[in-house]
Amino acid sequence: METMMKMLLKNKELPEGAVAIVKSLSESGDTALFAIVGDMSLGGRYGATTLLFTATKAVLYDESLSAPREYLYEDMEDVRAKRMYGNATLSAKMKGGKREIFFRYTYGVAPLCDAAALFISHLKEGKPFNEEYAIVSVAFEKALSVCPKCGRPLLHPGAECIMCRSKKKIVKQLSGYILPHTKTLIFCIFLSLFTTFMALVPPAITGFIVDVVFSDGESSVSLLNMIANAFKGEPKKVLTAMIILLLCTYVLQYGVGIIRSYLMRTVGNKTVAALRNDIYRKAQYLPMKFYDKTSTGSVINRISGDSSTLQQFMLRITQEAVVHLFQLVGIVVIMISMNPGLTLLSLLPIPFIVLASRFFSKKIRPLYRRIWRRWTKVSSVMADTIPCIKVVKSFTGEQRSTAVFEEKNKDWLDMELHLGKIVTAFPQIISFCVTCGSLIIWGVGGGKVIDGVGGYSAGLIVSFISYASMFYNPVTFFANLSDSFQGALASTEKILDILEAEPEIELPNSVTPDHLQGKIEFNHVSFSFDRTKKVLDDVTFTIEPGEVVGIVGTTGSGKSTLVNLLMRFYDGYSGEILVDGHNIKNFNLSGYRSQIGYVQQEPQMFSDTIFNNIAYSVPGSTVEDVMAAADTANAHGFICRQPDGYDTMLGERGVGVSGGEKQRLSIARAVLMRPSMLIFDEATAAVDSETEHLIQDAIDKLIEGKTTLMIAHRLSTLRRANRILVVDNGHIIENGTPEELMALKGKYYKLVQIQSMTADAERMRREERF
Amino acid sequence: MSRIYLSSADKVEKYENHLVKVTMADGSTVEGLEPRRLFPVTNPDAYITLLDESGVEIMVIRALSDLDKASAAVIETSLSDYYLVPRILRIISKAEKYGTLRWTVETDRGICSFDIRNRNHDIHVMRSGFVRVRDANDNRYVIEDCNKLDKHSYALLIADT
Ligand SMILES: Nc1ncnc2c1ncn2[C@@H]1O[C@H](COP(=O)(O)OP(=O)(O)O)[C@@H](O)[C@H]1O
Ligand SMILES: [Mg+2]
Repeated sequence: METMMKMLLKNKELPEGAVAIVKSLSESGDTALFAIVGDMSLGGRYGATTLLFTATKAVLYDESLSAPREYLYEDMEDVRAKRMYGNATLSAKMKGGKREIFFRYTYGVAPLCDAAALFISHLKEGKPFNEEYAIVSVAFEKALSVCPKCGRPLLHPGAECIMCRSKKKIVKQLSGYILPHTKTLIFCIFLSLFTTFMALVPPAITGFIVDVVFSDGESSVSLLNMIANAFKGEPKKVLTAMIILLLCTYVLQYGVGIIRSYLMRTVGNKTVAALRNDIYRKAQYLPMKFYDKTSTGSVINRISGDSSTLQQFMLRITQEAVVHLFQLVGIVVIMISMNPGLTLLSLLPIPFIVLASRFFSKKIRPLYRRIWRRWTKVSSVMADTIPCIKVVKSFTGEQRSTAVFEEKNKDWLDMELHLGKIVTAFPQIISFCVTCGSLIIWGVGGGKVIDGVGGYSAGLIVSFISYASMFYNPVTFFANLSDSFQGALASTEKILDILEAEPEIELPNSVTPDHLQGKIEFNHVSFSFDRTKKVLDDVTFTIEPGEVVGIVGTTGSGKSTLVNLLMRFYDGYSGEILVDGHNIKNFNLSGYRSQIGYVQQEPQMFSDTIFNNIAYSVPGSTVEDVMAAADTANAHGFICRQPDGYDTMLGERGVGVSGGEKQRLSIARAVLMRPSMLIFDEATAAVDSETEHLIQDAIDKLIEGKTTLMIAHRLSTLRRANRILVVDNGHIIENGTPEELMALKGKYYKLVQIQSMTADAERMRREERF
Repeated sequence: MSRIYLSSADKVEKYENHLVKVTMADGSTVEGLEPRRLFPVTNPDAYITLLDESGVEIMVIRALSDLDKASAAVIETSLSDYYLVPRILRIISKAEKYGTLRWTVETDRGICSFDIRNRNHDIHVMRSGFVRVRDANDNRYVIEDCNKLDKHSYALLIADT
């Protein structure tokens, strides 16, 4: 029994009721092979459910049903897993021909149910049991490759979940930025200790001046007594000596302070620079999935704003915290040695300050986060509309976008004002407490001086008041530390979101392809961006090396997604993609991508010269290589006609050249790196026919002997294709040579008919005109 | 090609599971249509399209009130079957680990727990107080008016918006 439960594939621990069913199954000689633990009853309410699968039947356990239900595979026809909205179902045509839903679940277990539906269908088709069971096992393995604690998908099965790792590691990661400066920081701490010590001297001297110089009393500080004895009877001289002593302390205190501040500033700037570098570098390697979900504005904000907040905090912790701690201890020691009773009195307000700080920190932390979120919204409005200013203007949206901005900005302001009340009130309240503390010293200590109580003198009170006010300084620092700690925590969270996000997956022993033959195989590839809708569904095809493949299909059918997967922009698909017989996930990412010339529908240019834009694919290219590439792409001609030639600066996103010219530049960019495979994603969709001809000509020169994928709307673009894939709604519905597909009289045939009709009509119109 | 809009003269009946059968005023019938919302978030009860098996729109319902009561009820049942968007009535607890939130909530469909991976993108509070929540598995939840939540729930929610 024990071993059987272990053998059973499951996504979670089974509920008790389901365990009972497993037991009774095994008693009746049957074996439960796998179990999908769900979370929803058939009626759509939350509750524990389990669907158990044996070789011949499925058994449903549902705590809201009185008895388990059995579904024999032989009674089921056309088993389907259907994703709806927020829930999904398994259904089948049962005996009698009616479709019946036998399992309802939320998206969490959807991949398992997809696999289960295939399992039943394939068994019914008579496919070998072992193979089908193996496929299901893989699906379960994948389902387990999420963190058991937080449910996050892991890099590979069994990997440590980044989100659930210990705080220690986070501290370790952040301290990595401080460690290179350890020596300087330790030196700074020494400097700070020195200045702290210097700061402790003046109150002692002023006390001495009041007691000894002004009123000829006694002092407890032996060093000062020695100086006074040297000038016995000449108070003026003693006073001068004391003033010189004070001056020296001040010079030392502030002189060393200057050095320290300078060093600290240097370390701080270096730290923030290193942090920014890392975040930016990391951002470059984050998968497209990350950018689909995170606005670029918020990424930019994290690189610029949050990194400096965090840096400031790290320095506060390593420096000021240490110094203040020493100051605190030093002052308490001095005060107690001077007068323990008064010391206790002046400590009275401390508990109140600590309590207040805790209370405020609880309030402030969420507010900081909220401010940050508001600010991200403001900046993403900017990042959204300013680059699209042409659209804004052409549809007279200036007022609308201003209104949106003002609304977001107001949200931010409201929040900032709200927080402002709390943040500004806090230090004032603390200062108030401090002042009250000094009142206590004046009242009690002063009274004792008047009464002539032994051990109390005017000088003592004066230096005590100074020490006490210095004492509250570190206390307020620690109280306020929570405030800056909260800010830093909010920033850390944002930064770790990037620093610790999983980068594009690179397997440890990946191979670097030096040349690809260009055989491409898709095996049962399914993919969805957000799990709600499958964009590619069970796509299978093979492309032989050197083939020129046209991919056609309606807009939104998944053509671009297909090549995005081939480019490894997205990794979360099921099934396999092989190139030259290797799973592309095993390739070294940059090595692999540099073998593929990818020309996007929307050519993207940097604000740099034309030369650098082309040479972006192969940094350090020679002038002649770049010109040769431009020749091939039919771009050289128009570049020559630019007054600045190859030095023409393009504005942001390529302002300064036309759409067709940009497209030819992007082709030149792809040509330059001598790829083994080429992908054109509607490269000619947005240009006039003259330019299309030029681009087409460039493409023809380029594709000789290379595996080429061409996504195109205009079939004229595909005249060189010797294979056509027709994509429809995420499926490959037709696959063959153009002749075969014409003979098939399917979708491709229809497309050709429609387009040749419009071409005919156009020709006739033109003939009429001339 | 003009769109066919259903009117009160047309009848809708239940077909299989959440699919429906439409009998037009002229007596012609179409079976196995799937009602789908065109504005599932902003206007769930208006513009309901009826798709055939292959996902092609056959007709559209402008508003549920265009239909007679029985037909409207059939559509509503079908939609509530297809669109499972629990309404959160109460946030029972909230736990947090490095950015991932785990909420335990009481909904109109029972109590459940889920993870919110990115509170900045997955919790949307409209100005009207309507809240949309998306969990790590892409399930959706709504809070109809966050101002009507109890104090505890409101505090838990608002800290993350
Ligand atoms: N980044 C994305 N996030 C979510 N959905 C997407 C994304 N990109 C494309 N889609 C969806 O995937 C489907 C296929 O898109 P795509 O492959 O670009 O189509 P096309 O065949 O026109 O190139 C579309 O329905 C589209 O809405
Ligand atoms: Mg596309």
